[in-house]
Amino acid sequence: MKKELIELRVNGRSHELAIEPNKLLLDMLRQDLQLTGSKRGCDDSSCGACTVLVDGITMLSCTLLAASCEGQEITTVEGVSERGGLAAIQKAYGDWGGAQCGYCTPGFIMTVKHLLAENSDPTEDEIRAALSGNLCRCTGYSQMYQAIKAAIDAEQRGMAAVK
Amino acid sequence: MSLPEFKLLLRPRTVEEAVGLLAKHANNIRVLAGGTDLIPSMRQKLFEPQYVLDIRHISELKGVHPRPGTGVEIGALTTHTTLERSDLLRQRYPVLTEAAGTVASPLLRNMGTIGGNICLDTRCLWYNQSLTWRKACGFCIKKDGDLCHVAPGGTKCWAAFSGDTPPALLCLNAEIEIASPSGMRRVPLREFYTGIGDSYRKLQADELLTRVFLPDTSAYYHGIYRKLRIRGSIDYPLAGVAVVLKRSNGHVADARLAITAVNPAPILIVGATQMLAGKVIDESLADAVGDLAAKTAKPLTTSALTPEYRREMIRVFTKRAVLAVANNESLVRH
Amino acid sequence: MTEFSIIGKPIAMVDAAGKTTGAGKYTDDLCLPGMLVGKILHSAYPHARIKRIDTSRAEKLDGVVAVVTGKDAPTPYGILPVGHDEHALALDKVRYVGDNLACVAAVSEDIAEKALELIDVEYELLPAYFDPEGSMKAETDLIHDNKPHNIEKDYHHVFGDPDKALAEADYVAEGRFIANEVTHAAMEPHSALASFELDPHTGKLGRLTVWSSTQVPYYLQHKLSLVLEMPMAQIRVIKPLVGGGFGGKSEVIPLEIIAAIAARAARAPVKITYNREEVFWAHRGRPRTIIDLQTGVKKDGVINAVKARVVQDGGAYCSYGVVTILYSGALLGALYDISDIAYDGYRVLTNKPACGAMRGHGTVNVRFAFESQLDEIAAKLNLDPAEIRRRNLLKPPCITINGLRVQSYGLPECIDQVVERSKWKERKGKLPRGRGLGIGCSHYVSGAANSIIRSDMPHSTVNIKIDRDGGVIVYTGAAEIGQGSDTMTAQIAAETLGCSLARLKVVAADTDLTPIDIGSYSSRVTFMAGNATLRAAEEVKKQIASAAARKMKCPPDELVFRDDEVYRRDLGGEGARATHSEASASGRVEGQILRGSLQQKRKDEGPKDWMTFEEAVVAAIDFHGALTGTGSYAPPPEARGGKHKGAGVGPSPAYSYAAQVAEVSVDEETGEVTVHKVWAAHDCGRALNPVSVDGQIIGSVWMGLGQALEEEMVWKDGMLMNPGLLEYRSPSAIESPEVEPIIVESIDPEGPFGAKECSEGSLAATIPAIANAIHDAVGIRLRECPFTPERVLTALRAQNKAKPINLTEGVDPTAPTRFREHGGALWFRGKGPERHPLDPARQKATAEIGGDD
Repeated sequence: MKKELIELRVNGRSHELAIEPNKLLLDMLRQDLQLTGSKRGCDDSSCGACTVLVDGITMLSCTLLAASCEGQEITTVEGVSERGGLAAIQKAYGDWGGAQCGYCTPGFIMTVKHLLAENSDPTEDEIRAALSGNLCRCTGYSQMYQAIKAAIDAEQRGMAAVK
Repeated sequence: MSLPEFKLLLRPRTVEEAVGLLAKHANNIRVLAGGTDLIPSMRQKLFEPQYVLDIRHISELKGVHPRPGTGVEIGALTTHTTLERSDLLRQRYPVLTEAAGTVASPLLRNMGTIGGNICLDTRCLWYNQSLTWRKACGFCIKKDGDLCHVAPGGTKCWAAFSGDTPPALLCLNAEIEIASPSGMRRVPLREFYTGIGDSYRKLQADELLTRVFLPDTSAYYHGIYRKLRIRGSIDYPLAGVAVVLKRSNGHVADARLAITAVNPAPILIVGATQMLAGKVIDESLADAVGDLAAKTAKPLTTSALTPEYRREMIRVFTKRAVLAVANNESLVRH
Repeated sequence: MTEFSIIGKPIAMVDAAGKTTGAGKYTDDLCLPGMLVGKILHSAYPHARIKRIDTSRAEKLDGVVAVVTGKDAPTPYGILPVGHDEHALALDKVRYVGDNLACVAAVSEDIAEKALELIDVEYELLPAYFDPEGSMKAETDLIHDNKPHNIEKDYHHVFGDPDKALAEADYVAEGRFIANEVTHAAMEPHSALASFELDPHTGKLGRLTVWSSTQVPYYLQHKLSLVLEMPMAQIRVIKPLVGGGFGGKSEVIPLEIIAAIAARAARAPVKITYNREEVFWAHRGRPRTIIDLQTGVKKDGVINAVKARVVQDGGAYCSYGVVTILYSGALLGALYDISDIAYDGYRVLTNKPACGAMRGHGTVNVRFAFESQLDEIAAKLNLDPAEIRRRNLLKPPCITINGLRVQSYGLPECIDQVVERSKWKERKGKLPRGRGLGIGCSHYVSGAANSIIRSDMPHSTVNIKIDRDGGVIVYTGAAEIGQGSDTMTAQIAAETLGCSLARLKVVAADTDLTPIDIGSYSSRVTFMAGNATLRAAEEVKKQIASAAARKMKCPPDELVFRDDEVYRRDLGGEGARATHSEASASGRVEGQILRGSLQQKRKDEGPKDWMTFEEAVVAAIDFHGALTGTGSYAPPPEARGGKHKGAGVGPSPAYSYAAQVAEVSVDEETGEVTVHKVWAAHDCGRALNPVSVDGQIIGSVWMGLGQALEEEMVWKDGMLMNPGLLEYRSPSAIESPEVEPIIVESIDPEGPFGAKECSEGSLAATIPAIANAIHDAVGIRLRECPFTPERVLTALRAQNKAKPINLTEGVDPTAPTRFREHGGALWFRGKGPERHPLDPARQKATAEIGGDD
């Protein structure tokens, strides 16, 4: 299969890559850029472990062709950490038991990041609905809700401190 | 599971360009929009095209636009999330808002498009499996074989159409625009489906579904979409019912009912309109409409849950939807 | 001052940041120079003899480096010494659709997949068995030649005189319960990476390193040694992060051995990662179980006898099956006081992927039956379901009729707690029709008292090394799989040593570095590896204490180690604590220990009445030369159970207890069940880390909910109809109920700080709690799980004598019973898969694949 030269923006950096046209975004991230935070959990676009942001919107990187994303801004879990440390949501997921085995966690972090960008103070029902495209097999999701609330609190406190 | 190899990913920016490419490679091309149907199917080697036409970046096909005097136009690449959040649709065509909001999961709604949902491949548990699986089981009519595991001895494919938005669109008398090298044509959505599982839609290899039109005459109907699924998210419908209704002086002025996921096509149940017209809705009328819908449903073992149960749910959901829409309630579960 | 500094505090897992940032590495994230991709060819038939495998065309494909088949590793293996019936790649027979035939190692996944298509296999088809009760009648064409009637193992246990007791009972309840097959569906598909080093002298292949998503690194090392005929010392197994196990990675999975033999043949590193369908074939999940249960009670609700016949559809290989069928019987005891028990257990082979150990191993399905039946009895006797459970409590310390020793027993408090929190008394039976409450109880082992490999070897050993700057490294073989094993280890070591958690580093599950631990299964890690950690830490602490005591001129046993300080007990009140808070306030920032001014200043002072942890460590290293300690744990002989055949399975040093109340509503027109809330009390001995314990309780309840309502592996003549996460429905956030975890602490006398199991025991209570709640809501008794809407609706229609939905009529009306037996699912009917006339597989098939009925 003939490779094609494409330019992709991932986590704020441009990468010039020669890839096969059938390469999935997930494989490109994991194999060509060694960004292994995004995971593969299924083969039928059902589990959400590979969730990334494409132009700020959550999508399944296992269901996108890498070449199709040329010109779009891709953010993976590796692009979430802030100022060399944990983002509030990452810290909260750790503190509140939002992550057990951690395999689905990068996907959830991206989903929550997107949720909070759209709605800074979601109700529990809104959180449930937003998380419902990502599967977790360890937590039963409950402790994630606590983590998300804690992250919102932390962000608000952080904002207050800045003011 | 990797995707099968193909020669080229074609990335047109305009409809014209896209149609040209389609015509050029008509025998060996698949159209990629949101990818939520095509990509998993390609992993399973259900499609192994030489060319993939990636239409994700044709911006003229995105968005919900009011067309004064005629209705609302929706670009085929408009995502379910956009539909779900459109205030215009919520006000004028609430049944579509509801249906779009139940598609799969939020993630898949961010990717999946209305055009893709209309063109969604029919589904069957004996078909939507990996190549290894299908080889072990024996190929079926829909792909590589000539027998049916669902209706042994039969020669018709019963794979079920499992889109959520088409029954809503049928209730709204939606029309679709199809582009081809010879120009554009507009057809009522109800004429798009064949009712046969393996050749389920009337779309030529060089044609592209480009737009959906919702007529003004269907605006402001109360509407409800009710979907059977086992899991609260992600699942395709195992049965689905859409109902729209307009009242005048407490009587039904006009109503339409459509069902999905229980036949090889989404079906507008014309008899329901006559049954409801001019009536005051009560329990027994709703029951009768439910029975009619259940009679139209012909589910087979193409998905989880038994056909009998799914048919029964068509009856129950229809009855409930008719009663709820008459009371102007929302029935969205979850 | 509270009793502990670190134990009992809600703390983040020590590996949390790696997981939330994506920086943590799982096996499939790893990459080695020159690494090849391995892909496996799977059987297309459920039962067939392999007449010929020809790999020559595949080998010629450009990019293919090696192709291996069963001949490359002919030694059989299995997780149990009595069950060495597997070949990583089939040698003479395939026994299920998906069985492993050959593996291609190639430079890319695409090429490897293409090469698979070029392998020619000639089969001789054999009759296949899909239904356990039919399979048990088989005389010929057995799945394994040495297993007559395809019975892997049957056990017939009688304790007391159950027949007499049943005859004396005032009421005997009887019923058949069926729990359909479920699987772990851990989010991470299995992955293994194998790499050989070259011997520096000969250039031949030398040491082997395998990175794998395993719960049992040492068993893997052992089985690799067996199959590859290499000494264990030449094999290193490293467990990176594991994305969930639940038992599915608690034995050697074919890909681990296949990766090693492919790497050997290719002379290059080979990584194999299963796709999701292969994960379903690897399976080792909870078997479909048919339980015929009889319970006899006196008028007052006291149980006087239980008789159970249990048939498990075990799939094609033994796996943990012998243990599973024993657990199903043994764990009839140790929850309630039952004096007479008869148990007949059959583990049956069928031509489907092997079942094995899954969360709540062996007990879940039988507990569903038992707790449901107890509810029926309570109704019959007009007793409150919570009350009937209270009337059958054990009186510990005690040894049950089947030889299980119970020392700590928080069940009474668990029941009290859920009854109170759910407002049971006020609401049970009084909710509007369609809404109901149900209760269920369960228990589980804190590790098996007898290891799989019978020996007197300790089950866990832990080494600790402390460096001069006060950094503590704990070396443990225990496998962190997301349950918090590393965090538990760090907590216990830090608490025992009286140092801050920030000093701790846990090196885990690397067979070159860490001493033997038999793995993360049967909820054994906290109890056993925890005790070993405690002992290792105490040993090191003793050395520090002796050196510190010399400096402080007091006997070592007068020293207190706490909060990074060592001080004399009699001074513990005033000075030390005041200084301590100062030290800790100035001594570290964000968990980083900053040494410097404080310590420097104190260097020249005279005799001390307290020291910093670092000062004490320095004193000890100066005195002893090195500071290391080892601790190990073996369950005490008293906990190892009775003498009857099969008595080795069931005994545990301690049992956890759980009680739950579920609140549900049932839509009577659709049969849809909504679980609104579950109150879940769990006696975990002591909660070492409450956030973690809560998480384990919620996770267990949630997984039970999945089995109760949605999850089911659906089979049609040996074809798994739902081998993916789209059709095998793991609950989403939408329908996952609120779970209120309630921690009950019974402080076990032998557990580390009193701790016991907390990750499995709760699961088994959830299914019957939901079943009982459904009964409370609408009066139907569901005896088959999952309680899908159609099963619920069918039962409702039968109850109302309303027009039934005929779930047995269909495309092929002759099929229903046969079809039910074939996997229990109601979904499928009609003829089995019929091969396409043009399908080459069918043309080759000389014999029809026969059924067993």
